[in-house]
Amino acid sequence: MTQALIYALTGAVLFMLGVRATLLRETLLPRLLALNVCGAGVFLIFVSLAYRGDSLPVDPVPHALVLTGLVVAISATALALALNRRLREMADE
Amino acid sequence: MNLTLLPDLLLAGMLIGLAWAVLNSDDLRRGVVLFIAFGLLLAIVWARLLAPDLALAEAAIGAGLSGALLLVALRDGSGGDQRSAKRSTLNRWLIDLFVLVMTCLIGWVLWLTIYAEPVERLAQLANAMLERSGVSNPVTAVLLNYRAYDTLLELVVVLAAVLGVLVVGRERRGYREPGPVFHGLVHWLVPLLIVTAGYLLWVGAHAPGGAFQAGATLAAAGIVLRLAGYDAAGLPDGRLLRWLLVAGTGVFLLLGLGMTVSGGGFLQYPEAWSGSLILVIEVAATASIAAALVLAYRGGRSDGWLLVDEKDKNREISS
Amino acid sequence: MNNPLIWPVAVPLLSALLALLWPRRSTWIGLLGSALSLAAVVLVSRQVIESGAIELALGGWSPGLGIALRADGLSVLMLLMSTLVSMAVAVYASVYFSRSERRSEFWVLWLLLITALHALFLSGDLFNLYVTLELLGLSAVVLACLGGSRESLQAALNYLVLGLLASMAFLIGVALIYAGYGTLDMAALAAAIESGPTAWVALSLMTGGLLIKSALFPLHFWLPPAHSNAPAPVSAVLSALVVKAAVYLILRLWLALFDEVVTQTAALVLGLLGGVAVLWGSWVALQAERLKLMAAYSTVAQVGYLFLFLPLLAALPEGTTRDVALGALVLLALTHGFAKSAFFLAAGVIMQRAGHDRIAELGGTARALPVTAFTLALAGVALIGLPPSGSFLAKWQLLSSVFITGQWIWLPVIAVGTLLAGAYTFRLLGYAFAPGEGVGPSLSVGREEIPAVLLALAATLLLGFWASVVWELVPISAYAGGGG
Repeated sequence: MTQALIYALTGAVLFMLGVRATLLRETLLPRLLALNVCGAGVFLIFVSLAYRGDSLPVDPVPHALVLTGLVVAISATALALALNRRLREMADE
Repeated sequence: MNLTLLPDLLLAGMLIGLAWAVLNSDDLRRGVVLFIAFGLLLAIVWARLLAPDLALAEAAIGAGLSGALLLVALRDGSGGDQRSAKRSTLNRWLIDLFVLVMTCLIGWVLWLTIYAEPVERLAQLANAMLERSGVSNPVTAVLLNYRAYDTLLELVVVLAAVLGVLVVGRERRGYREPGPVFHGLVHWLVPLLIVTAGYLLWVGAHAPGGAFQAGATLAAAGIVLRLAGYDAAGLPDGRLLRWLLVAGTGVFLLLGLGMTVSGGGFLQYPEAWSGSLILVIEVAATASIAAALVLAYRGGRSDGWLLVDEKDKNREISS
Repeated sequence: MNNPLIWPVAVPLLSALLALLWPRRSTWIGLLGSALSLAAVVLVSRQVIESGAIELALGGWSPGLGIALRADGLSVLMLLMSTLVSMAVAVYASVYFSRSERRSEFWVLWLLLITALHALFLSGDLFNLYVTLELLGLSAVVLACLGGSRESLQAALNYLVLGLLASMAFLIGVALIYAGYGTLDMAALAAAIESGPTAWVALSLMTGGLLIKSALFPLHFWLPPAHSNAPAPVSAVLSALVVKAAVYLILRLWLALFDEVVTQTAALVLGLLGGVAVLWGSWVALQAERLKLMAAYSTVAQVGYLFLFLPLLAALPEGTTRDVALGALVLLALTHGFAKSAFFLAAGVIMQRAGHDRIAELGGTARALPVTAFTLALAGVALIGLPPSGSFLAKWQLLSSVFITGQWIWLPVIAVGTLLAGAYTFRLLGYAFAPGEGVGPSLSVGREEIPAVLLALAATLLLGFWASVVWELVPISAYAGGGG
C-alpha cells in the first residue's frame, strides 16, 4: 500500500499548493490554474484510494467520481474564462 | 529504502515540482504550457495507478481541452499584470502556516486510513454487481448505471456552464485561411478524430473509453476545423444547436422517467436492455459534451444563436 | 410511480430543457415549470407528513453502491420554502424580464437553479451533494451576471472563483470520508462516523467550504457585491435560497452525520462568528446608501443568527428541548427566506420605477407605490423579529435556549442585533414614507407588486400562525443520529 500512500500524500500537497496560490494570486488566470491544480490534488487522493496493489482489481467508484469531477472542472474553467474575457472587452470599450 | 518505489517517488516528485512551477510562474504563457505538461504527467500517473479511463480523459480534457481554452484566452489578452497580490508579510506568513498545518493534517488522516488500517471500500461490491450492469467496464458501470444520477446532473452542469458562455460571450473572430500544409493535415486529421471518438464511445462498454473521452475527442475535431478556418467548427446554428446541447441531458432524463412511469424506479434499467440503453445515453451525451466544449472554444454565441426568436420574427416581417 | 422523490428534480429539469428548445415560449414554460415543481414538492411533503421520512434508491441499487434520495422533515421544509419563494419570484420575473433579450436564457437557468436546489435538499449521498453544489454555484453565477453591467460581472466572477475553492474544500472532505469509511451514503455514514482524526479533519474541510458558500463572517465579503448587483429576481433567490442551501448542509453535517464528532468548542467558534456577523452585518446595513446593498448586508447578519443556534444545539441534550431549538432555527431561516425575497423584489420594483435605489432619495415611495412600501414594512417586521412574524417566535425560542443552557454571552448580541435591525428598517421606512418626488408619479398596482407582498405576508403572518407545523416536521429524521 506504500505506492497508494505516496500518491495520496502528493495529492494532499498539490491540493494545499493550489489553495495557497488561489489565496495569494490576484488575477484570474493564475487563480484558475491554481484551482485546477487543487482539483488535481483531490482527484489524486481519490484515485490512490482506488489502487489496491497491482494484483487486486481496482475500486472503480473513485475513478468514476474523478471523471465526473474532471468534466465539472472544465465546465467551470470555461465559464470563468468567458466571464473574464467579457470583462476585458468592457474595460477596452 | 525499497528500490521498487523509486519510479513512484520520482513521478510524485515531478508532479509536485511541475505544480510548483505552474503556480509560481510570473510569465502566464509559460504557466499555461507547464500546466498542460502537468496534465500529461498526471495522465501517466493515472495509467500507473491502473486508471486507464482517467488517463484518456485527463489527456483529452484535463490537458488537451483545458489547455486549448487557456491558450485561446491568452490570445484574447487575458494576460495583463501577473504579479502576486500585495499581501503583507504577516499575511503571507499566516497563509503559509495554514497551508503547512492543513497539509500535515490531511496527510496524517491519509496515512491512518490507507496505511495504518485499510478500509474495505466499494471495490468488491462494484465488481461483483458488474454482471447485472449491462457493461463489462466497471468504470462505465459506475458512471452510467450505479451512479447514473451523478452523471445526469453532471451533464446539467455542463449545460449550465455553456449557457453561461453563451450569455456573456460573443463568438471570437475566426482564424485566417491556413497554409496548404495545415489544410492537407485537416483533411485526414478530422475524420481520424471522428472515427477515434466513435471507437472510444463504442469500446467504453468493455474497455477504457466512454462518452466523456469520446466527447472530448470529437470536440478536438471541432477545434481543428476552426483552426483551419471553418468558423462554425462543424456546429450547426439556431434550433439544431439547441437540440444538440439538450440531447445528452434530455435522452438521459426521458429514459429515466420512462422507466419510472413504466413501473420501475428512476434510471432502473430493465436488465436485458441496460447495455443498449447505456449506449443510447452515451451517444447523446457525447454529442452534447462535444458541442458544449466547441462552443466554449468558439467563445460564445454567434448571430444565429440569438435568436431562433428574432429570426422567426424577421421571417414574419419579410413575408 | 408511488415514490414521488424524483419529481421535484425531474420536473424543473425537464422544463429547463423545453425552455431551451422553445425560447419563444420560455416565459410560459418557466411559469408552468415552477408551478409543477411546486406540485411535485407538495406531493413529497404530503407523503412525509403522512408516513415519515422516505427514501428512493436510484437505479434500484442499494444505497452505497447507488445513490439514494431522501426526504425528511428538514428537507421538506427547505423544499417548500424554495419552491414557494421561487414560484412567487417567477411571477415577478415574468414581468421583469418580459422585454429582455436574455429572457429565454434567464428561464432556462432559473429552472436549472431550482433543479439544483431541489436535488441538494433531497440528496442522500456526499459526492452527489458536491455535484449539486457545483450546479447550484454555476447556475447562480450565470444568473447573477444577466444584468450585464461591469460590476455585476466582476462580482459574479469573484463569486465563481470563491465558490470553486469552497467546492474543492468540500470535495477533499468527501475524499477523506470515503477513505475512512468506504461509503458515500449519508445514512450509512450517520451510523458509522465516530470521533477521530479522519472525522475531525474531514468535517473541518467540508464546513470550511460551506462557510464560504453561506457567507459567514469573515467569509462574507463576496456576498454584498454579488447579491446587490444582480437583477432583482436573481438577488431575491440568491439571498433567500442559495445561501440557505449551504446553511442547510452545515446543519445536516453537524447534527445528523457528525453529531458525535462536534465538540462544544467548535460550535462555540461558529457561534461567535455568527455573533460578529449579526453585529457587523446590521451595522453596515445601517450605513448603506443603496437599498439592495442594505438588503445584502442584512443577509450577512441574518445568516449570523442561524449560526448562533449551533453552540446552543450542541449544549442541549438530545430530546424535545433540542428539537424545539432546531425548529426555531429552521423557522428563522424560512422567515428570512420569505422576507428577504420580498424585500429584494420590492427593491426591484422601486429601481425599475425610479431608476435608482438610493435610500436617501426614496421620498414619495409610499404615495407612488403603496403596495411596495407596505411590502418593505412587512418584510422589515420579519427582519427585526416583531410579532406576529415567524422570526419573532424563533427569536423567542432562541432566548429561551439561552436561558436553559446559561450561555448568557448571546443575550447582548441578540439584543443589539435586533435594535440595529430595527434602526436600519425604520431608517428606510422613514425615507420611503416621507413626502417627495424621488420615485415618480403614482400608478396602479402592477402584476410585479403582488408577488412581493405575498411573500412578505407569508413571512409575517403565515409563518407566524403556522409555526407549529415547522416544529412538528423538524423531528422527522431520515438519519439515525438526527434526533428523533
